[in-house]
Amino acid sequence: MATDFGGLTSVLADNGVEVIVIGGLAAQAHGSARLTQDADFVYRRSPENMERLATALASYRPYLRGAPPGLPFAFDAETIRRGLNFTLTTTLGDVDFLGEIVGGGKYEDLEPHTSALSVFGREVLVIDLPALIRAKRAAGRPKDLEAIAELEALLAERERI
Amino acid sequence: MAQSDGPDDQAILRRFGFEPDPVIEAYKKDVDRSLLRQNLMRSPDERWANLAAAVRLAEEMRRAGARSRGD
Repeated sequence: MATDFGGLTSVLADNGVEVIVIGGLAAQAHGSARLTQDADFVYRRSPENMERLATALASYRPYLRGAPPGLPFAFDAETIRRGLNFTLTTTLGDVDFLGEIVGGGKYEDLEPHTSALSVFGREVLVIDLPALIRAKRAAGRPKDLEAIAELEALLAERERI
Repeated sequence: MAQSDGPDDQAILRRFGFEPDPVIEAYKKDVDRSLLRQNLMRSPDERWANLAAAVRLAEEMRRAGARSRGD
């Protein structure tokens, strides 16, 4: 199913979940022309925020993406505390919640490198373009090469405006 | 496709602390900058709305393909 980006953003914002938009969705916010299918967020790993994240997603049947059905998986605060990075499927679409990313670190490390953008009627923190490029370069995945090239071109175009 | 303004790009990258990578530079030749310039004229809200519409369209095309194959 197509990811409901507006729905996800609203659910997280309305429940006060502290997240930073990263990945393809952040690239789109900065002007990328590449399509993305899922939404990626870095979440703050404070006990209160992990509780808020679990509560926010509870009605949207979060489950481990690609895992066989029927596993005793519950995306609750305890599961989040014991884990770090979660790739989930939900009734709002595919979404990744990451406690830490290569080349960017944790929520607290990334927070100074974000911009607050107004999207779908909510204010969301989005990783800034240089930090996104830095993270993608650090990840060193061959599949990201085209995306990095576009982001760097975007940075140059933006700076020329 | 619009041409890259090569040397300026590299100067801008260095200003942000990035050393130009020859492999990435090679990929950059295929980037359609006209699309980027168009997107830069839109607000983040409009960009996400366009993405949501494109993803819905892609999903619909996948369903149509599956129907035509009898899946």
